[in-house]
Amino acid sequence: MKKEQKSLPKLLSKIEKVASQIKRNVVLMEVCGTHTQTVSKNGIRSLLPKNVKLLTGPGCPVCVTAQEDIDAVVTLSKAGVPIATYGDMLRVPGFFGSLEQARSQGAKVFSVYSIQEALEFKKDFPNLVFFGLGFETTTPMTAVALQNGLTVYSSHKLFLPAMNALLEAGQTKIDGFISPGHIATIIGTKPFEHLKVAQVIAGFEAEDVLVAIYLLLCQIRDGRKEVENEYVRLVKKDGNQVAQKMIAECFKVCNGNWRGFGKIESSGLEVKNPKLNAKIKHKNILSKIDFSQSKKPTGCRCGEIIRGTLSPKQCPMFGKVCTPENPYGPCMVSEEGACNNYFRFMV
Amino acid sequence: MYIELDHGGGGAKSSELIKQVRKILGGAGKWQNSGDDSASLALSKISLPKKACQNQHLLLTTDAFIVDPIFFPGGDIGKIAVCGTINDLAVMGAKPLGISLSIVVEEGFPRADFLRIIKSIAKVSKEAGVPIVTGDTKVTEKGKLDKIEITTAGIGMAEKVINNAGAQVGDVVIASGDLGEHTVALLSERFGYRSRVSSDCKPIDKEMLAIGKFVHAAKDPTRGGLAANLVEMAEKSKVKIVLDENLLPYKKETIALGGLLGIDIFSFVSEGRFLATVSEKDAAKVLRILKKFNPEAKIIGNVQKPVRRRGGDTGVYLQTKLGSLRPIEMPNGKLIPRIC
Repeated sequence: MKKEQKSLPKLLSKIEKVASQIKRNVVLMEVCGTHTQTVSKNGIRSLLPKNVKLLTGPGCPVCVTAQEDIDAVVTLSKAGVPIATYGDMLRVPGFFGSLEQARSQGAKVFSVYSIQEALEFKKDFPNLVFFGLGFETTTPMTAVALQNGLTVYSSHKLFLPAMNALLEAGQTKIDGFISPGHIATIIGTKPFEHLKVAQVIAGFEAEDVLVAIYLLLCQIRDGRKEVENEYVRLVKKDGNQVAQKMIAECFKVCNGNWRGFGKIESSGLEVKNPKLNAKIKHKNILSKIDFSQSKKPTGCRCGEIIRGTLSPKQCPMFGKVCTPENPYGPCMVSEEGACNNYFRFMV
Repeated sequence: MYIELDHGGGGAKSSELIKQVRKILGGAGKWQNSGDDSASLALSKISLPKKACQNQHLLLTTDAFIVDPIFFPGGDIGKIAVCGTINDLAVMGAKPLGISLSIVVEEGFPRADFLRIIKSIAKVSKEAGVPIVTGDTKVTEKGKLDKIEITTAGIGMAEKVINNAGAQVGDVVIASGDLGEHTVALLSERFGYRSRVSSDCKPIDKEMLAIGKFVHAAKDPTRGGLAANLVEMAEKSKVKIVLDENLLPYKKETIALGGLLGIDIFSFVSEGRFLATVSEKDAAKVLRILKKFNPEAKIIGNVQKPVRRRGGDTGVYLQTKLGSLRPIEMPNGKLIPRIC
């Protein structure tokens, strides 16, 4: 399982060879926002053999954040509660507009680069709410915020249930996953073994992704369904136990609400401490929102794109009314989103 | 000691502060300014061959500067404000003659920091030989401005005006040094990373003038970085610029920081570099001159004829190490780090 140090052209020709030995079409999926970027930036899709299709899955934290959560946080901000969150999240339109639009109408909304910045804002705005999102990679940072007394609206999620949901739904036949290196750095390789599908946990250089594709194709050719670790330089079997402990201390597992999937059992993380849980603290504001409107169809098909059942270019709005400058859905907003990458890198 | 509202009020406190600022900034060079409403320059004082006068162009530029943090490794808001304006003139082939300086400062700003910024302005202005010839200072009420804002305007003279629409098919693209280090310095400071890289902020007028006669198109990759500025050049020149991933003008630290934060290094800002296209036959000569100023100057790509296909393919492309060709896009809006 050692990382194979091969020159790039050699790797490509090895991929070509294994692919030709598999006498059918193969569907692979990358499920991490950073892999999406690596694939697009390096034009990897255009270099793959004809019978290998590489899909983009639910790896972008902004993209999978449910409309209801965005609507809730926008409503909080408009009710005068100061909000801090990561930059891309500001631009995702909800039913009541985006956080950015709320800000231009006078709401206190701060875009932060790191949790430390959010803690700094808390000094001036003691009732600040941090809109926490993302998977096991970003959750430990939010745990730090909670430990420092910052109130959090949690939209944090566990990643493996989504991979499992994709396989169980069976709408897209997936032969193998390029599994997320960042998440594996935290949770280790072990939890991935529960998924019965070929997987390679990979790093984020072009070489890493190509090696992963090669190893996946070898598994598929041989009929194996294993978890291989290409990202040995950072990912260990047991992961980062300090971070895992912090997540367990500050959060409890709940049913997660995902854009594109809806509720997935035991896939969400809720803030344990009721005093720091924005959903409890601001219940009086949140309970008044008519969430039935959140589900109103807008023509946006991000949900299908997140599940890999629709390719960005198949969406009727892609590149026409929906562009990075004027995004209709999160997949076009986020630089980790499938549509944004397809649009910017034309692949 | 802090800046007070009265320091911008035009009274005694104002004149005391202005006096100190003027003392730090030094004289106005060949310009006349005795504290009046404008500075004046007698053209006879600019030594020009008589015939050349007819071919001269006057260039005027202005820029407003807000920077966070105000002080960063390799510079501060004052240094950037002067370099930015000198460089906007230089990159168009002009020799800068003088700069105006307007400062708006928030009430309660530490006076020591204010003077530190003025000293830094004086230092670059003296080193570059471009005097600050006129200026203004205003103070806003506390909370109405984030610390300090500086606006500079500059006037320069050029015999040959260089713009960013002149790139020609067959040209090579040269970077005057490694790019993006201003952003690296700011981000490192902001995130508390230790880094050996400091801001690249400096005047580029000397090196630009030294190669001016060979240059077809030039641009300093400030806001928007290489991505925005080279795309603009390609679009305006109606050409296709292809960069080689093996020759990218970025240091290891810069690439690492971009990877770490998930920000595209092509939009990293430089405050003391330029990108220029010159014909292939002049490339070696130009490079030899530029290397005297910065050994990292290098050829990073070339200018090709766009293939007309569905509206054409003018723009900037990267030939990746894998052999694929992918577009480098104009960045949109703010640089936002990756979440996952």
